Amino acid sequence: MSALGDILHLLLTANLWQATLAAAVLLLLPALGGTISERSGVVNIAMEGMMLTGAFFGVAADLAWQNPWLATGVAMLAGALMASIHAFVSIQFRADQIVSGIAINIFAAGLTVFLINRIYGLQDVGHVGQSALLPNINVPGLDQIPFFGKVLFQQNVIVYVALVLLVLTHLVLFRTRLGLRIRAVGEHPQAADTAGINVFAIRYGAVFTSGLLSGLSGAFLAIGISNTFVPNMTDGRGYIALAAMIFGKWTPFGAFVACLIFGLGQAIYDNNSIIHVSPYLLSMLPYLLTLIVLAGLVGRSTPPAADGLPYVPGSE
Amino acid sequence: MSDQGASLAVDMRGITKQFPGVRANDKVDFSVRRAEIHALVGENGAGKSTLMNILYGLVHPDSGEILIDEKTVHVAGPRDAIGLGIGMVHQHFMLIPVFSVGENIMLGREPVTGPGFYDRARARAAINELTRRYGLALDPDARMGDLPVGLQQRAEIVKVLYRGAEILILDEPTGVLTPQESKELFGVLRDLVKGGKTIIFISHKLKEVLEISDRITVMRRGKVVGHLTTRDTNEEEIATLMVGRAVLLRVDKAPAKPGEVALKVDNLTANSDQSVPALKGASFELRYGEILGIAGVEGNGQSELMEVLAGTRHATGGQVLLAGRDITTMDANTERDAGVAFIPEDRRGTGLVLGFSIAENSILGRERALTFSWRHFVLNLVAIRNWALRLVKEFDIRTPSIDVAVRNLSGGNQQKVIVAREIGSNPKVLLAAQPTRGVDIGAIEFIHRQIVRERDNGAAVLLVSAELDEVRSLSDRIAVMYEGRIVSIEPPDTPEERLGLLMTGGGVREGAA
Amino acid sequence: MSTRPRPPLMPPIVRRLVRGLGMPLGSVLLAFVLGGLIVAATGGNPFSAYAALVCGGFGIGCTQGENPALQISNTIVFVIPLITAGVAVALPFRAGLFNIGAEGQLLAGSIACTAVGIKFSSLPAPILLPMVLISGMVAGALWAGVAGVLKATIGAHEVVTTIMMNYIAQWLLRYLIIGGPLQLAPGTSKSSPIGPGARLATILPNDNSLIILGLPSSVFRVHTGLFIALAAAAVFAFLLWRTSLGYEIRAVGQSQKAARYAGVSVRRTIIVTMLIAGAFSGLAGAIEIAGVDHNLTDKYFSDTTGFDAIAVALLGLGSAVGIVLAAILFGALHAGGAVMQADANISGNLVFVLQALILFSIAANFVGAIRQRIPGLGRPTALPPEMPPAAPLMTEAAAPPAEA
Repeated sequence: MSALGDILHLLLTANLWQATLAAAVLLLLPALGGTISERSGVVNIAMEGMMLTGAFFGVAADLAWQNPWLATGVAMLAGALMASIHAFVSIQFRADQIVSGIAINIFAAGLTVFLINRIYGLQDVGHVGQSALLPNINVPGLDQIPFFGKVLFQQNVIVYVALVLLVLTHLVLFRTRLGLRIRAVGEHPQAADTAGINVFAIRYGAVFTSGLLSGLSGAFLAIGISNTFVPNMTDGRGYIALAAMIFGKWTPFGAFVACLIFGLGQAIYDNNSIIHVSPYLLSMLPYLLTLIVLAGLVGRSTPPAADGLPYVPGSE
Repeated sequence: MSDQGASLAVDMRGITKQFPGVRANDKVDFSVRRAEIHALVGENGAGKSTLMNILYGLVHPDSGEILIDEKTVHVAGPRDAIGLGIGMVHQHFMLIPVFSVGENIMLGREPVTGPGFYDRARARAAINELTRRYGLALDPDARMGDLPVGLQQRAEIVKVLYRGAEILILDEPTGVLTPQESKELFGVLRDLVKGGKTIIFISHKLKEVLEISDRITVMRRGKVVGHLTTRDTNEEEIATLMVGRAVLLRVDKAPAKPGEVALKVDNLTANSDQSVPALKGASFELRYGEILGIAGVEGNGQSELMEVLAGTRHATGGQVLLAGRDITTMDANTERDAGVAFIPEDRRGTGLVLGFSIAENSILGRERALTFSWRHFVLNLVAIRNWALRLVKEFDIRTPSIDVAVRNLSGGNQQKVIVAREIGSNPKVLLAAQPTRGVDIGAIEFIHRQIVRERDNGAAVLLVSAELDEVRSLSDRIAVMYEGRIVSIEPPDTPEERLGLLMTGGGVREGAA
Repeated sequence: MSTRPRPPLMPPIVRRLVRGLGMPLGSVLLAFVLGGLIVAATGGNPFSAYAALVCGGFGIGCTQGENPALQISNTIVFVIPLITAGVAVALPFRAGLFNIGAEGQLLAGSIACTAVGIKFSSLPAPILLPMVLISGMVAGALWAGVAGVLKATIGAHEVVTTIMMNYIAQWLLRYLIIGGPLQLAPGTSKSSPIGPGARLATILPNDNSLIILGLPSSVFRVHTGLFIALAAAAVFAFLLWRTSLGYEIRAVGQSQKAARYAGVSVRRTIIVTMLIAGAFSGLAGAIEIAGVDHNLTDKYFSDTTGFDAIAVALLGLGSAVGIVLAAILFGALHAGGAVMQADANISGNLVFVLQALILFSIAANFVGAIRQRIPGLGRPTALPPEMPPAAPLMTEAAAPPAEA
């Protein structure tokens, strides 16, 4: 049982929890995006593809212009453009939203490698210099608090941004008029339509936003945590974010709790040199964890009532 | 047709709307005077809902014009309609169950503070003011899904008034109300009219139309076929206009010859889909050769009763005996084998697989029967087709072939497929739940005749219907259900007022069943 | 019953074929056009790219000395697992389920086949071959069964659960052949070979007695798994349309309420459907091992058959014949991708781009929309009912509280 002992030891270190928060944020951003999209009634399983696209274009832009902020903007835009395809196909053409989502993921995976070949030839993409990465920021003063200082206040800038976005998403969804309308569209689009709300505009906006958030997460992954693009580097995180969203009952803070759990699994895996278990078995951890969490949702978790159903005006 | 004297709140002229395959509105002229209650009457598919959807901006006409208060307008969408003072209370409520009453009413016109925060306090105040002014009591913070149907409808009306509606369109408003709630609604409507509002009342319930309206417009197959003044007309005249020929409002049948007891139900209890007790101890007997009709407002346990009897719902207590055999916990398939047929009330959801052909639907529930499959596994396509062809012929189902997907049939023909399937199996017991809901009059007559024929062949028939007329004309005995129990068994010629009273919980004699 | 007026000239079978093929063919065409635009926009030559694809896929028009017979043989090798995996995706579609986990189930089948093939390597063919194939089916069924049970009991959407099982299978594979129990030798990343009794024979003789278009027959790897795959497609069609189980699966897929009324246990049907589907994928995986490499290698780390199967099932509109045709297309695309990379210097990943474009086109019925705008092309039929019904990510658990 030395592996278990290793893990328990690990749980007491601040390093682990610092890594957990970062890994959680990586999942949180697409989870927030998915939540917003589904609250408006559009099923979105394309976070994986949108993240990957954001990651690639973020790296490409950063290599070209050496400016991480610009590159992040490009990444977000790239994610949003991918999302727009999904929105267009699902809302305008009323395509099956799951097929469309899967298609986006396949499209992104193929397109990114195709573009690597076209832009960089057959070599790999190249590494972004240290100075052009998204910086880690130590909050002066607060970062010296024992244990929590390291965990909470010595993080990448995107982590802070994400936490702000978390609170913002919650406020908008549940306290503002816009959020009320988004949720109305997701629960009963006919009712919203007859109340004079523009269902299509809200859905397009929500899906677009989910693309922005996933793209941001891709930038964080590629030029914040890592410094290059590797094919399929998102490794299923977009899908895990989905599970987090379901676990969180389509609420931002609920999703965050799930992301922390999954982040923990990821952080433990990253430390596999310390724990004496085959790295491959450990790699299963995030996915097994997701299954267990989903299986534990015996109390039914209900999505917005009109989630996944294309809206046809005038149909009764 | 112009109206002399009174000013017109609504004047629709020459409205035409074509959908693929059907002309929903054909040069329709429809006008409503200010401060009157005007009924728009017609069968399903007559075009009344389409006409009102056009008025409300949900649908755009191909040609024609609309005048509101004698000024030509263009209604591009609900927002325009609301701006013109038109409000619509839909047949299927446009309410969000998980939102509060206040949020539902405010949707689209929410009061805000600061950078867009929803101002709950101001919403509450506005609603309280409105409900006070019109005498419609409502709690703004209650969760909409928890309210009874009558109150939900009230919220719909408040919603419409909040937006300053002067012209209210109500689409089949009494379908889900008890007779008592209907009376309350009519009182509200009369008050609104006294206050100067104009009301358009869509219905196919002729008695109510005669009670509440000032004038009536009758539509049939997309055209207007009659303008009537209410006090000068009667049910027969309206029905004839609706259908185009003299209509049999009563079913011709010979007196019943009841035999042995087929079903004995004793203190049966069951829960609804929301896990709340819905059937709270129903007891009655059903004999071969008779039709027992269950009268009651929807939601008093009739649906659950039928489903338990048919074997598609789990009973929580009590007992059901079929010719002496305990079938309380029996599942649907075994019951079918025992000769119990079930026409479910939800024909499109439960009774049929819409994407399947007529042939495939004709064996729904019997796909493992040895008549239709070898060794219960491999389907015997020839036997199935022959069976389907027979049903189509005997039950006059209008279709070009038995391979047509059932979703392409009209409502009446769809219902005929179900009726044919269930009756065609020569059942000993026939459970019919809302067998003619949403079906046109011609098919209604046919189905009624089939049900009576089964009775005359010795089957025991249990009928549940929300249409009191149907229950009264078909049944040999009437059982009234209220709050999950059978409160009384009455003879079929019992006056409607007494039935209405029983359906709402009054008038039970001491010691009655 | 009235008789329908007969359409002039065209016999009904041709009419049905045209109507049936119109949308998929149109979708493929549209995808190729859009893909060509992408290639051109990034400075490539779409014509040489597509020419290379056609050469690699069908052995037609090869300009750089590729052997047409070899190309065709390679294509068929790709096609074989695609047929069976395509069935594994198409069957659950009919029940309203999305089996995105065909890849994981396939890997599970490959792993089981290899493990059994190694452990019992001394057994003779008539015993060992069925053993490895069946163990592959069982492993695939179990892999899919997990998702099926979760869906049936708590309504967990199979998209998320099967994708998780995919990743678990991939890591399990790595664990087993990199420093793990199935490893051939330290430092390699492949497994020991399965016993000779577990191998599927190649269709062409393995000695060099036959020369085809200049190459000895031992080079052609096309194997008897082809017949198993075609048989699987036939079994699928029979099951779906000629049995009461198939009737019930289709009923559940279209209307759970109606199925319940018919006395069908929706829960049981979902689980059984996933088990059967998993068995098909597992079989695909087992056939790959038994027919091609005879051991697990790192080629499986980047295997995409299970995902291609999604496109195969959708493009094939869920019918057995359609699946075979679509499998041929995607098999050709994959074989062609390698040639495209070598000859035209376009990344083989373009094939995934094309695949995604086809998926979009089918899901959105672009072809239908285009036809509506162009007069004379006839009114498009509604989206095929084989498409899985749109559904939220967490449905009600399959059985309502009132189910007996």
